This record gives sequence, C-alpha cells and structure tokens, in this order.
Amino acid sequence: MTTPMPPVPAKDDIRATWNYLQAGVDKIMMDLRNGVDMKTYMGLYTSIHNFCTAQKAVASSGEPFSSSTHSSRGGAHLLGEDLYQNLIGYLKKHLEGVQAQSKTHVDEALLTFYIKEWNRYTTAAQYNNHLFRYLNRHWVKREMDEGKKNIYDIYTLHLVMWKEHMFIGTQESVMHSVLKLVEKQRNGETIEQSQIKSVVDSFVSLGLDEQDITKSTLDVYKEYFEKPFLKATSEYYNNESKQFLAENSVVEYMKKAEARLEEEKERVPLYLLSEIMSPLMRTCEEALITNHSSTLREEFQILLDHDRIEDLGRMYKLLARIPEGLDPLRNRFETHVRKAGLTAVDKVAQEGENLEPKVYVEALLEVHTQYQDLVNRAFNGESEFVRSLDNACREFVNRNKICKSGSNKSPELLAKYTDQLLKKSSAKMTEEDDMEKSLTQIMTVFKYIEDKDVFQKFYSRMLAKRLVQSTSASDDAETSMISKLKEACGFEYTNKLQRMFQDMQTSKDMNVGYKEWLADNLDKTELKDSIDATYNILGTGFWPLQPPTTPFLPPQVIVKTYERFAMFYNNKHQGRKLTWLWQLCKGEMKANFSKVNGKMSPTVQVSTYQMAVLLLFNDSDVVSYDEMVEGTKLAKETLDPSIGVFIKSKILIAEPENGKPESGTTYKLNLNWKPKRPKVNLNIGIKAEQKQEVEDTHKTIEEDRKLLVQSAIVRIMKSRKKMKHQQLVSETIQQIKNRFMPRIPDIKKCIDILLEKEYLERLEGDELGYLA
Amino acid sequence: MSAATEQPKQTLTVTTNDNVDIVVEREILERSVLIKNMIGDVGEEQIDTAIPLPNVNEPVMKKVIEWCEHHRKDPPAPEGDDSDSRKKSTDIDEWDQKFMQVDQEMLFEIILAANYLDIKGLLDVGCKTVANMIKGKSPDEIRKTFNIQNDFTPEEEDQIRRENEWAEDR
Repeated sequence: MTTPMPPVPAKDDIRATWNYLQAGVDKIMMDLRNGVDMKTYMGLYTSIHNFCTAQKAVASSGEPFSSSTHSSRGGAHLLGEDLYQNLIGYLKKHLEGVQAQSKTHVDEALLTFYIKEWNRYTTAAQYNNHLFRYLNRHWVKREMDEGKKNIYDIYTLHLVMWKEHMFIGTQESVMHSVLKLVEKQRNGETIEQSQIKSVVDSFVSLGLDEQDITKSTLDVYKEYFEKPFLKATSEYYNNESKQFLAENSVVEYMKKAEARLEEEKERVPLYLLSEIMSPLMRTCEEALITNHSSTLREEFQILLDHDRIEDLGRMYKLLARIPEGLDPLRNRFETHVRKAGLTAVDKVAQEGENLEPKVYVEALLEVHTQYQDLVNRAFNGESEFVRSLDNACREFVNRNKICKSGSNKSPELLAKYTDQLLKKSSAKMTEEDDMEKSLTQIMTVFKYIEDKDVFQKFYSRMLAKRLVQSTSASDDAETSMISKLKEACGFEYTNKLQRMFQDMQTSKDMNVGYKEWLADNLDKTELKDSIDATYNILGTGFWPLQPPTTPFLPPQVIVKTYERFAMFYNNKHQGRKLTWLWQLCKGEMKANFSKVNGKMSPTVQVSTYQMAVLLLFNDSDVVSYDEMVEGTKLAKETLDPSIGVFIKSKILIAEPENGKPESGTTYKLNLNWKPKRPKVNLNIGIKAEQKQEVEDTHKTIEEDRKLLVQSAIVRIMKSRKKMKHQQLVSETIQQIKNRFMPRIPDIKKCIDILLEKEYLERLEGDELGYLA
Repeated sequence: MSAATEQPKQTLTVTTNDNVDIVVEREILERSVLIKNMIGDVGEEQIDTAIPLPNVNEPVMKKVIEWCEHHRKDPPAPEGDDSDSRKKSTDIDEWDQKFMQVDQEMLFEIILAANYLDIKGLLDVGCKTVANMIKGKSPDEIRKTFNIQNDFTPEEEDQIRRENEWAEDR
C-alpha cells in the first residue's frame, strides 16, 4: 500500500533531498492513517540531518527555493533554509488545495470538512515537527536567536501557514455555519456541539503572539469567533424579545428572559471558552433586559398592587443584573409602601378619638410586616430596598392622618399600647413568647418614631403608674422592654426608668425592715390597732410624678400610721424630706354594716381621698357636702368625682335624689348596700384626670425639649469655645436628632435665650463665643 | 523491591550502519530524543522492528549506550535551556571525564552521534571536553592538537590578529 520512497539522497543535493522529503511529508500529510514505518521515519530524519551537516550544499540551478546566501565559511552559517523554504512552498500548495475543496461545502458539511482537515493537518504538523527537529534545533534556533522575523519552529510554521492560506479565506463561511448551528440550538433543535467546540479550539490555536511565539493569545479567537458570536447573539435576542413582548405579558416575558439567561450561561461550558462568559452575559442582558427596562419597570407598580411576590422577585433578579437597573424601582417601592401605610392609617383613623392604641400600632405593623416580607422574599433582603422600606415607614409612622393634630400622636399611642401589653390582665398574655414577640414589634415601630422623647415621657409616666399601682404583668417583661430601649437609644434614655425599678426594689426591702421595727417597738395593743400599710419611697428626680394638686386633710388613723413610718424612716435616713403623694395612695376598708350573702362583710378598695370621705360615716350615717369639704379639705375637682363613684355604686345615697355635689346636698350611708362580690373596687380612674394627664405630658415635653436643646448648645460651645452660628445649629441637630427632630427656629430661639442668660456672646462675623 | 522493577525490562534493537544489531533497554535508549519521538510517532506496534541508525557505527553506539546507561536517571534536559551556567561552565563530573578519555577520533564520533541522536547531555559533555582541550593553548598548539593545517596566508593571519586584538590577554 505504501508509496515507495525515493532512494535516500546524497547529503549535499538539495533537489534530491527535498524530493525525498516531500514524498515523506506528503505521506504524513495525506496518508498518516496507514502509518509511517520506522525505516522511512529514520530515513527522513537522517536526510534532514545529513543535509544540514553537509559541508557545502550545492545549489542546483533551477531550484525555486535555493538559497543564494551560502558562504564558504561553513562554521558561521547553518544549512537548512532551503528545506524550510521548500516546506513553506509545499504547505502553501497543500492548503490552497484544501481551501479550494472547502468551497464545495456549506453549513454543517463545511464544519465537518474544516475540522477534519484541521485535525489531519495539526497531527501531521506534530509529526513534521519531530522529523524536522534537527532543523528546529539548529537552523531555526539560530535564525530566531538572531532576531529574524517570520521564522518559526516547524509546528508553529504549520499554524502560521494554516492561518494565512486556509483560515483567512474560510473563517467567514465557517463562522456563518457555526452561528447558524447555534441559532438552531437556540430555536430548540439538537445540534452536534462538538463541532463548534473543535472550531473554537482551532481558532484559539491560531492565536500566536508575534512578539513571543512561545506564548499564545486569544486575539484570533476574539476577533473571528467571539465578536461575530456576540453580534449574532445580540441580534437574535433583540428580535426574539421584541416579538415575544408583542405577543405575551410582561410576566411571561420575564420568565422567558430568565430562562434564556440561564440557558446561555449553561451554553458556555458546553462548547465555548469560559472567557466569553462575562461578555456573553452582558450582551444577553443588554438585549433582554436593558432594552426593555422601561417596559419592565412599568409593570412593577402593577405587580406591587397585586402582591405578586414571585414575579417581583423575578423582576428584581433581572434588573439587578444591569447597571442602575433597580434605582427607579426603589423610588417606586418607597412611594408605594408610604401610600399603603397612609391608607392603613386612614382606615383606622375613622374611629376618631376612640382609636385603640392597639389597633393603630397593629395597622402600622401590618404594613411594615407585609413589605418587609416582600423585601426579604422578592428583593433578597437587599440593603438598598431595606432603606427604601425604612424611609417609607418613617414617613407614614410620623406623618399620617392620626398625627395631623401633632406629630406626638404616634409615640403617644405606641407608649399606650406598650402600657396595655405590660399591664396585668388587660389582654391575656399567657405565653411569654407572645409577650416578647409583641415587645419586639413595638421596637420595630419605635425605630421609626422621630419624637423618641415623647415616647420616653409617656412611657415613663405609665411605667411609674404600673409600678406604684403594682399593675405590672411581669418584671421580666418590664426589664426586657427597658433593655430593648436601652439598646436602641442608649443608657441615658433609660436611666430614669431603671432608677424607678431600683426604687421599687429598695422599697420592698425597706417594708420588710419596717415590719420588724414595728414588732420590736410597739406593744401588742398598739400592733393590733395599727393599720397594715406598705410604703414606696420614690426618688424625686427620677419619677415623673407631681405632688398632689389638692389640699388634703388625712383622716386621723392614717396620720398616726404615716407619722410612725416617718419616724422610722428619718431614723434611717436623716435629712430626707418625705412628700406624700396622696393621689397615688389607696387602701382597703371593710364595710361592717353590710354582709355579702349574709355572711362576710364586703371589702371596698378605695383611694386615700375616698377613704377620707367614707371614714366620715363612722361618726354619722348622714354627712352633708359641706361637712365633707370641711372634713377632707379636698378641692372640688377631686372630691366631686369621688362622691360620684359612691353614688353610682350605691354605697351612698344623695338627698335630695340626684342632688348635685354642692352645698345643701347630704349623703346617707346605704345600710342596705348588698354588693354581689365580697370585694368591690371603687378606686376607678377618672376620665377627666387622664385627659388632663395627657395634656400635662405634652406640655412638659415642650419644656423639656427647650432644655434639651439648650443643654446641647452649651455642651457644644463648651468644647468648641467659638463657632459660627450656622455650624452650631447643624451640630445641635446632629446631637439631638435621635431624640426628636428639632426645628431650626426653635434652636435659634434657644440660642437667643442663652445669649440673654450670658452663657454665650456674639463675636465678629456671625460667630458665637462661650462664656464660662 | 517494588513490583514494577521486577518486570522484564522492555528492550529495543538498533541496527548500526556496520550492520550490527544491539539490544538496549528502552529506557536507556530513550535518552535520545530522536528515538523517543520516533517511537511515539510511529507507534508501539513497530517496537519490535530494529531501528536503523544509518549514521552511527557499532563501537560509537556502544559508547553512547554506555553513557546513556550511566545517566539513565538524569532529569531530561529542559527544552531551550540556554542558561549561562550551562554555557559557560566547562566543569565535567568525574565519571564523564573518565568516559571521555578516548582517542580524538572516537571523541568526535561521539559528539556527532550525540548531535544526530539528539542527546543533549552527551553532546554537552563532548563539546566541553573539546573546549577544555583548546583552553589556554596558542593557535599553533591548537593546530597541533587537532592536526589542523594552517590554511591562512600570512596576510590573512595578520588581518585576523588585528581584528581580534581587543580580545588578547595583556
């Protein structure tokens, strides 16, 4: 089968040598499948070796590639150029033939042909590279060492020749076929992927670095493969997306785009170079997302309105891929949440004055919870969307219909709701978890409250009440709430609250001590007659409590009791002044004149004021209004409602009937009073009083704010000594904005006050100075 | 002893140009890049065919094999190793020095064979040996050593001397 080889040539005969070599090279190039026998191989190698080591090469006339640069000084010149040039000639001719043949193929057949020829050629190139190794080692090496351009080792020479005489002429049709194939695949057909992979590999192999041929570059691949590939991709998806959107909904389109992006990503490892991943993705994103971003964004509001979390997530993922894709969504989202919050508040605001704090806070929370869930599930909890959510919540928590009357409404209602939660028995809070959960929710709203000082005011008042009246549901819950506030606002914010707690603990211990003291210092009869009482000692500065507003003449038994205690206390802590907060005191009395179910006498729970009124009836069954005033010294505002409670509970009977509490009316003890239960609570808070309290609280807030601003200004000036007016204002805002948002005119007013008080002085050029 | 070394060693046969067959362990013979590439290219199935070596005779081949055997475990010379240390140093290790103590004709035959068979290490040792023979000798001594006829005319010689004056040791 093997073509007979010409005889081994004389070593200095270029013509004979090349004829011999060409036969061998041709066999390797065209007929490698039948193998090369060892003898031929060694013959070819040897003939190259012999030619290159011959003392002189005889340039036979008529040889097209003979060299004319032979020198008689053999040592300085290496032989081999003739062989190299002849090989170039051979390869050129071979490749021209291959290229001509390629023109007869198109599409997949062309790819098959190209790959087949490429494989055959490169395999042969490897063989030839070995056969011509002697040439590589000497002549080629010398030429390259001397810096000759366009001289390559034999393998690289093969690639250079392919690129020049095959690739340049065919790459366009090859790429055309490749792209057609890819399009087929994108249209859902199955294709022979390995063909494309081979083309990619071939193009990559042709990337030779002209500066350093030992290195390869991706230049050829990038120019002739990547570029047209990306262009075709862009065209394909531009067309597809336009058409798809014209016929389908945006939601359907997003699914399609998502699938397409995933598909392209998976395409890369199948038969493309990993380098193409990022440009390919960018191209697809451009065609599939960027070009339709406004259409997508228009759908955003619709999806929000219908709570389409999954689709919103899809939109987020798509738009997140393109630069600045999400910014417009964030604004829309913020507006949407704010509107939702305002709508929710409007709805509950219809209840007007009677709005339950719980209902209000829950309305706020519901909106927050809904959209926080959306942010987490659809927007991946992305911090920018969290910020939009926070902005929106802050807006609708602080500026809504309820707050119209005053921005203090939100913190007030929140504090009230907290009070309800922490109070005993209001709602059955069985599970501790539920309590903790509710407190955490309160903190969620609290975070958005701008007037945190208002919350603090209300909260501390209500805490004081809970502690004094021991209506707190659980110490643990109280402590937990305080530590949450502390975490959010710092030590200073909760300092007084904690002190109040401490006072309660100290008082508890002190009462135990007092009991022991009583036992040691009183005789038996004294002990028997004494009233069983407990005392809470509350530090004046820490409790938001005022001394009583009404004069009061305590009944004699109570006077005796508290004087005894005062003696004990002054003994222990000399020089402390005790102020009795009668309005907060209460007690229990036994109604000996009555029997429940004919057995026990009922107990009534009353305030100290009420107690004073009822005790008057120990001396007489009938007491006139004037006698009451005389006996208790209570102001009308306090006395009248107390009497009202007694009339209502029928423990007293007014004469004349329905007689107003005024001079001339008398009250008779109802000896037939038969309460249903053995314990009757008459110590009922009075509406008007509560309202008054709220107003007072608001008033003190304004006062406190002024002080807060002033102390901030002084603090700043003390450390800076001199400062521009404008700068001082902004720094002041900076310092107190986590308590409330101060208004600039208010700050200016405070500066004026401080100037007047000579804490500050005006200096030249709008500067202020600090006066020690 | 590991199992691998107990396996019968694969051998190759070479036929020298004076028609002598020499059987050599494959590993040893593959110190020659020519042989190694050739076997890789023509395929394992031709491994039993005697390899014709038209440029080497038996005594030289034996010498080459001796060197290859001694250096069988040398790491293969890295491709394109033209580091200065290899170029400049004329140090030869002791075994190689002894190995190269042959008559001049044999020395040159070994060098030619190493070049032909593409055995870099051996070629280097050969060339270094020759270089050491030249070192420190005057042109006349060199001519004597290598039995070279002076084919320069006195004028030519004079010109070369002038051209290379800068290189003279003074």
